[in-house]
Amino acid sequence: MDIKDLKMLIKMVTETDITEFELENADDKVVIKRGCSGTAQFQMQAPVAYQYAPAAPVAAAPAAAPAAAAAPAAAEKEQGEVITSPIVGTFYRAPAPDAAPFVEVGQIVEKGQVLCIVEAMKLMNEIEAEFKCKIVKICKENAQPVEYGDALFVVEKL
Amino acid sequence: MKDSGVDGRIIGLFRSGDGVVSGAALSRLLGVSRTAVWKHVKGLRASGYLIEAVPSKGYRLLSSPKVLTQLDLSAGLATTRIGSSIICLKETESTNQVAFKLAEEGAAEGTVVIADAQTAGKGRLGRIWLSPPGVNLYCSVVLRPAIAPMAACQLTFLSVVAVARAIESCTSLKPQIKWPNDILINGKKVAGLLNEMNAETEKVNFVVLGIGVNLNLDMSSISESLLRHPATSLLEEGGAEVDRLAFTRALLLELDRLYDVFLAEGEAPVRAEWLERSAIKGRNVKVSQGEREFVGMVQGVDSFGALLVQLSDGKVETVLSGDVALV
Repeated sequence: MDIKDLKMLIKMVTETDITEFELENADDKVVIKRGCSGTAQFQMQAPVAYQYAPAAPVAAAPAAAPAAAAAPAAAEKEQGEVITSPIVGTFYRAPAPDAAPFVEVGQIVEKGQVLCIVEAMKLMNEIEAEFKCKIVKICKENAQPVEYGDALFVVEKL
Repeated sequence: MKDSGVDGRIIGLFRSGDGVVSGAALSRLLGVSRTAVWKHVKGLRASGYLIEAVPSKGYRLLSSPKVLTQLDLSAGLATTRIGSSIICLKETESTNQVAFKLAEEGAAEGTVVIADAQTAGKGRLGRIWLSPPGVNLYCSVVLRPAIAPMAACQLTFLSVVAVARAIESCTSLKPQIKWPNDILINGKKVAGLLNEMNAETEKVNFVVLGIGVNLNLDMSSISESLLRHPATSLLEEGGAEVDRLAFTRALLLELDRLYDVFLAEGEAPVRAEWLERSAIKGRNVKVSQGEREFVGMVQGVDSFGALLVQLSDGKVETVLSGDVALV
């Protein structure tokens, strides 16, 4: 598999809701994962980041190694639910640059409480907790671009 | 239109007629007694309407209250959705905040919230929109389009085009649009638009379009240190006071027309008008996104309204947020 095929594959995966993709044949093994896993995280520098950073977002591991990469994601899934972005935009942890963040790791939030804002074209989308939960992980930095379906928070349902 | 009761219909009859309306005619058209007509006229006077009683002829509306009222705005407003309910407040923190709360409680599509003054007019990222009383328009509109959250950012173009059209219909000024939704006159900001959405993963619950327009603000009364960008008002640029009522009615009408088009034909016609008005295609811009800045040439906008900026190395950046300035 050459880099062109790989790019095509990434593009196809990112255009769907698929969060994990695995392909294995005699020559190659490819694992593509989207979202929050520490080892296979998308580095979203721009809304269409895959055009600029084709190699960075994938774990294109040789056949021997991929099992390790899969483990942290699986562990996170077991202990929490992932809150994803409903739109492409910019992630804000606080209502204003000098204000305190809406939530911090470890905090317990009530249903309906605002977790963050995702902005696109001056449309501010306040993401609320759909259930009472504890914030396990905040997956994005403040003012970082996010894609549709990107994991924003890992939470533990209470 | 919502039936705004007898008071609203009286104001409507004054507006549609050419001066004096007889008590008998009011009584007949409204289906109430002459005594009831007199009581309503008295009530309207108490709320700031100057209504003259012309002996042996009838009543004549001389002027409406200086503040915007639901009665004045609704009377004969030829909209299908926008203004289904209009709420006028003397003062509030932020009309967006009020509209958002009403929408959470189930307010209908087209609900409009207007305040004469805002004590904490909301801008982007916690910024403040200066909102003194008596001079400007501060208004928020609740929409409930059956679209995916991703498509909702296209509504940004809808409100900006509506404001530009309303300015043109009430003044001889030529508004310019800066991506995505700044409205400038002679390079200075005259309107601030901020939209807020409440959505689930696949479904928009509602969107609040927040619209602030400097109509008759005396710019010399505003300290420059309060302004992030050079700002102006329609009075300042056009030299004539703008009728707040006429402007607001024009804006609601344009919003309604554009929203009809948006629902029937999608975002493309609205985006096309935005692009034509913005005159940004082919221009060089500097984009600031937090810490990051880059310069490039605008190729156009994509179907979501994102700005397509070509960098010097030929790559095209898709810009969905940040500040964009012409260079």
